[in-house]
Parts: sequence; structure tokens; C-alpha cells
Amino acid sequence: MMDAELIAMQLFSGIALGAILIMVALGLSIIFGMLGVVNFAHGALFMVGAYAGLWVASLTGSFWWGLLVAPLAVGIFGMAIEYLLIRPLYGRSVDDPLLLTFGLGYVLVEAVRIVFGSDGIPFQTPPQLAGVADLGIGFFPIYRLFVIAVVALLLLLLWLVLEKTKFGLIVRAGAQDPQIMRVLGVDISRVWLLVFGLGVGLTALGGVLAAPMRNVNPEMGSLVLAEAFVVTVIGGMGSLVGAIVAGLLVGVAISMTALFAPEMATIVMFALMALVLLVRPQGLFGKPGRA
Amino acid sequence: MSAPLLAVENIGRRFGGFVALESVTTAFEPNKVTAIIGPNGAGKSTFFNLLSGVLAPSTGVIRFKGRDITRMAQHRFAHLGIARSYQITNIFPDLSVHENVRVAAQAFHARYDIWRARAALTELDERADAALAVVGLASRRADTAKFLAHGQQRALEIAIALVAEPELLLLDEPTAGMGPEETKGMVALLEKLARERTILLVEHKMKMILGLSDRILVLHHGRLIADGSPQHIQADPEVRRVYLGQNDGYA
Amino acid sequence: MTASTSSVAAVATRPTNRRGWRARLILWRVPLSILALCLLPWVLPSMALATNVLIYGLLAVGYNLLFGYTGLLSFGHAAFFGAGAYVTGIAIAQFGASWYAALALGVVAGGLLAFVIGILSIRTRGIYFSMVTLALSQLVYYTALQAASWTGGENGLRGFTVGQLDLFGWTVDFLDPVTKYYVLMVFAAAALWFVSRILNSPFGAVIEAIRENETRARACGYHVERSKLIAFTLSGLICALAGTLLALHLAIVPLDILHYQTSGMIVMMTLLGGAGSFFGPFVGALAFLLMEDVVSLWTSHWQIVVGTVFILFVLFLPKGIWGTALAWEARR
Repeated sequence: MMDAELIAMQLFSGIALGAILIMVALGLSIIFGMLGVVNFAHGALFMVGAYAGLWVASLTGSFWWGLLVAPLAVGIFGMAIEYLLIRPLYGRSVDDPLLLTFGLGYVLVEAVRIVFGSDGIPFQTPPQLAGVADLGIGFFPIYRLFVIAVVALLLLLLWLVLEKTKFGLIVRAGAQDPQIMRVLGVDISRVWLLVFGLGVGLTALGGVLAAPMRNVNPEMGSLVLAEAFVVTVIGGMGSLVGAIVAGLLVGVAISMTALFAPEMATIVMFALMALVLLVRPQGLFGKPGRA
Repeated sequence: MSAPLLAVENIGRRFGGFVALESVTTAFEPNKVTAIIGPNGAGKSTFFNLLSGVLAPSTGVIRFKGRDITRMAQHRFAHLGIARSYQITNIFPDLSVHENVRVAAQAFHARYDIWRARAALTELDERADAALAVVGLASRRADTAKFLAHGQQRALEIAIALVAEPELLLLDEPTAGMGPEETKGMVALLEKLARERTILLVEHKMKMILGLSDRILVLHHGRLIADGSPQHIQADPEVRRVYLGQNDGYA
Repeated sequence: MTASTSSVAAVATRPTNRRGWRARLILWRVPLSILALCLLPWVLPSMALATNVLIYGLLAVGYNLLFGYTGLLSFGHAAFFGAGAYVTGIAIAQFGASWYAALALGVVAGGLLAFVIGILSIRTRGIYFSMVTLALSQLVYYTALQAASWTGGENGLRGFTVGQLDLFGWTVDFLDPVTKYYVLMVFAAAALWFVSRILNSPFGAVIEAIRENETRARACGYHVERSKLIAFTLSGLICALAGTLLALHLAIVPLDILHYQTSGMIVMMTLLGGAGSFFGPFVGALAFLLMEDVVSLWTSHWQIVVGTVFILFVLFLPKGIWGTALAWEARR
């Protein structure tokens, strides 16, 4: 059946899209859960990740170096942001880091325009991952399979880190109750630094992974930021499971709508969010108090 | 016994698996001062938050003057005649002392009026000044609230509650964080207020409560373990056990 | 709590002449604003800049009602600005409406949209609010992008040039920049008077109380959510008016005005000038647009300069230009 195959294909590309969204929303959620900061530069850092990947790949001639080095470098850049710009704002209004990161995003977009130009740059799918694979129910682009695999692997790794390491214990405890950190006597500023770097690294990785699927341009972060917000609101702020479920939900909803009513594809996720807000303002996996 | 102003039947509150307050039944008569005491985590704050509509109870019924107010929205409590202060000072920090009280009084006159000048509501100015005079802040009326001393901020919070002319005043540790001098002033103020109002207060300072209260409730682990006159409570063996086991400073 | 407290106490106990000065400033804030707006075209280097300051200043004033006075950081006000502009343009271009009918429709549409977005976003608290308003305004953006037959999509809305204004037998040449400026200014002045009136009203006291302490306001007996929704809608109305004025001024509506970057620009202007002060938003719009004008002379990448200045303000001068000046004057 042709139709079933088409639907399977869309479902699958929805999951690939969702995988990218998970990376971005997870980074946003981890940072919020730990630092109480909504990073409005998150979309811009996604874009910076894509450009960094592009740049490293063109320098080394290998996509793999880009995939490895860019998220690390942008993650370290994220740490510098936390240390230099956000740290002075702790203890002030919760709006201040939000305003600051918005301004930062504004600056980053313009900086990228200066360095790389305003036009989009195509990012070639690495030759090893080009083409399609026959999965029995249909032909799927290998690169998207690869994206799903990388994200799945990373989620597993993240889960292991969060569940099995001391750092993970601290992050989970801190997301539950920020007060507890002081009680435990943890050097909270170091944790903040690492968590911010981790969150930014995740979105940058999302950027590199998305690059061959999207046109790389300075504005690519703005849609991603809105998407990440939608995913976070649907999933529940600070909930990692929520980010994963909502990321997949939004990804699949977008690609399925694209199949049946293409003009509604970008709009559907907002409608989904509005619905969640009406029924469950704290999000699917959010705790009521923090909404 | 006159008809109770406030009555609670089997009210309890759970947070997930944790029972913060377990099935408390009691009633409060008008124009009496009742103190609620208990060690940390006894459920005092939860009890207070239930009585002021901040939290909805998991079980039970709350009646104010015979009317069921269990599920009523918090902002309506002030209109019923229930006002409260908070354990952590809760004022409008950047507004003037006078405006803090004036805006509280305004809630009963103009909540959505975008057209008149607020200065035209002169009656509110007078009521605010009267409330400030009661708590002894008349001379500070033009100052920005956040620059008051701690004890004065607590007094301001009481003025904010008083200007609503509540029948029931809920005070959550009115002397929290105060030194001996400030505490003395607050006790004098409370004694003054107690003559014409029903007051419920949560307090840690046992000595202060004994002189002030007509009745004391003791909570422990979310349960009501004792209820009676100050003399009765002082003599109660279980209360002594709970408090002596906890901390000598309380008694 | 040592040095700062004592200096403030000194201010507080000082005789009332300084406070009298402030009271007079509040009393005269609308006439003073109008005077400043009258002079603006003759002080600034170009008429176009003056008109932009007028429109974006009004936009920031409307936004300030919510951000500065109610304490809600919306990142979605581009939607109301854009709705005002688009509905005005569409009413003229597609339905041949008169300019004043189009203007009224634009304001009402923006207000309605603010009401709907307000209902959804005010259900959320704190930091969620900023995210939800941003997302919902992006919904408006993408809807306008898709509804190209109405909005012109990516190319923006065109074809509704208003050459002259007719009202009660009067005809005004709307193509003359000076005339146009003063016509637009009449509307801006009326809106300023309206905003000043709201701030002065009992409701103005309520929203300030909510900004200061939501919990306390609720305990005092205020319906916080409803008050916020009213403030949100009023703010949206003013921003929609700014949008209709922009549409009449430009005779096109660029799609970009719906984008959240425009919301961000409104936030930046308001903060640069001083959120929560009456003159702040206009000062901010002026500073922002002047910066854009001046920096554009030597680089097209003026946004990097403006963005950096904004970051520095958040870090070091969060009260903005006007707010800092007021605070400095109070300390003197």
C-alpha cells in the first residue's frame, strides 16, 4: 500500500525532526531546571553550533570532526557565557538573565552574519550517510536514521550520567529543589557552569545534526527557539522525560500535518501548545507549583 | 459557647505521599486569641495556608460564619473578612508605606476602575493613615517600604491586614526574626488588637503566647495533640514531652 | 544595609520640595510629552526618524504598561503591533474602508488578539509567561506568512496608500511628511493621555501592587489573573494603535513586524529608556533608533552594537536611561 508507506515515511521523518527538537529542548530544560534561567540565546546557539560544525568540517574535510568538535567548542563558549554574563545576574530578578540572553542571541546572529555572510550555506550530507536504506516498510534517508541513532545513543548516555554519577545526582537533586544544594554543601557555581555548558553543547549538537537537513543560515535559530519553547511548555519545564515525549510528539505532529495540510505544518505545534495550556498549564510532565 | 466564627471539620492536606496535616476538627469563637504552636514541620503553616485559601485541603470542610468556603478562590477570602500576614515579610517593597496600606484598602472599593483618579478616593487615604497610626507607623508614611527596619515591615504587614477590617486575623509568626525590643512592641500591638478581633496566630515564642492567648492548639506531626487554656497546655504531659524532646528553648 | 539605607532615609526625611518636584512632573507628564513630541521633528536630523520615534515610542509606552507597571515580561507584543498594522492595511486594501474605520478596526483587532493570547498565557506563571507569549506570537507570524492571499505573505502587505485624510469635510494632505507627523501625533498624544489616566487610576495602583508582590495582592483581595488580563489587553490596544499608525505611515506592512525579533526590539527600547517610568519608553525608542541611525552610517551590522549596548544595560543599568536619571536625582 502506497499510502501506508507514505505515512510511515512521514512518521519516521517526524521522529528525526523530533530527535533534533529533543536535543534543543533538553538543553533548555536542564539549564532551567538547575539555574532557573530561560536561555533566550538557545536558538542562536543552535545556529552557532551549525556554523561551527560547518566550519570545522570544511577545515578538516570531515563531517565527523565537525560533529565532535563543534558541540564541545560551543559548550565551552556556553560556560564562558555563564561565567561572564549570567553569573553577575544571580540574585536579581528572574527576568534579567532572560533579557540578557535575548540580547546575546541578537548579537550572535549579527556576528555570524559578519563572519559568514547573510546568505544560507548548504551543508552536504556526508557521503557515508547519503542515500536511502530499505527498512522493509519503505525507503528512508540514511542520514535521518543516523540522527535518530545519535540522539538515542546520547539520551542513553545522558541517562547514565544523570542516574549513575555524582554529577547526575547533584543535577537531579538540584532540579527537584535548588535549596538542597546548599544543604549538601556542593560548590554550586561549578555545577552551574557545567550544566550551562552541557545545555548549550546539546543545542549546538542539535544544530550540527540538523545542518544537512536544513539550510544553514543566521536566522535558522529563531524557528528553533520557538519550537524549543513549544516543546518545553508541552512537556513541562524542567522535566527531562517531558522534553523527550513532547519533542517526539511535536516532531511527528509537524511532519504528519505536512503530509495532509502542508500550509498548517508550522502552525500545528502552536495549536498543540495552546491546547496543553488550556488543559494542563504546567505541561504534561510538569509539577503544578512550577508552572 | 457563642456560634463559632470559623469551624473546620476533618481538614487534612497531603503533598504526594507526605501528610502535612491530618484530619483536624476544631472551631474558633469570635473575639478570642488562639495560638497555634508546634515544633517545625508540625503542620502549622499548612493549617494556616488552608485557613487563608492559599492551599485547598485534600479532605474536610472549612466554614466561615456557617458558610462553606472550602474551595473558594484565595482572593475572595479578604472579601469575606479574613486577612493574614505571612511568616516571611510580605509587603509591596517599592511602594510607599502609605500606598502599601492604601492599595490594600482599595481592594474593597475599586479593583478594575481605570478611569477615576486614585487620589479622588480620599476616604481610602484616611483609612490607610488610621491603620498606620494603630501600628505606630504614621510618621513613616511617605517612606519606601523596603527601607523600613524589619520590625517596622512586620508592623506594616499587620496594617495591610488591618485596613481590610477583618473579622478574622491570621498572623503567621508576627515576631519572627525580631529582637527583644521589637518583640515587646509587637506584643503590645497584638494586645491592643486582641480586644476587638478574632486572632489566630502561629508563634514559636512560648512566653509571649502564654500571656496573650485565650487558647492554645498544639500540632505535632500534622495532628492536633492538645487544645486548651494556656495553663492547661503548660501542664499537659504530652506537650511537655514533645517540646522537651525537641528543644528546651521553646518552653 | 548600612550606607544605602542611611542615604535613602535621608532622602525620605528631606522636606517635601523635592517630592513636590516629582509630583509636578507626574501632573504635567502628558503636556510635557506632547510638547516634546511637537518639537521632535525639528530636533532630530530627519523627519523619518522623528516619525519612527513617535510610533515606536508609543509602542514602547503600550508595552511598558505591562512590563514596567504590571511586571509581566511579554515576548509577544509584536503580534498586537502587527495585528493593528495588518488589519488597518487589509481593511483599506481589500475592503476600501475609510482611514478612520481602518484605524479603529486595527485597534479593536489588536485588542481582541491580546485578550485571547492573554487568556492563554496568563494561565502560566513566572518565566513560562515569556516563553508562551513568544510562541503564541510566532503562531500569529506563521499564520500571516501562510495566509498570503490576505497578508501578502513574505512580501508584506501593499497597495493601501492613504494620500489624503478626510474627516468632517476637512481634507489633509497625508503625503506631506510634516503634516503626516502631526496627524499621527494627535493619536499618539491621545493614547499617552489614556495611558497616563490608567496609571493614575485605582487600577493603576492594582497592577503596581501585583508587580510588587503578587501573593500579597491576592491576599489583599485582588483577582490577580483578571487584573493581569485587563492590563495585558490594554497594553495590546495601545500597541495595536502604534501598529495602525505604522501602517498609515509606511503604506506597507512588512511581515517582519510580526516576528518575535520585533517583540525583542520593543523590550529593548523599553528597558533602555527605563521600564516602569512614564517617559522611559520614549527615551528608549529615541536612543535605540538614534543608535541604529548613527551606527548604520558606518556599518550595516548595527544590530551587533545595539545588542551589545543592551547587554551592558541589563548588566549595569537595568533601570535604563530615564530610570537611572530619576534614581540618581533622588539620591542627590
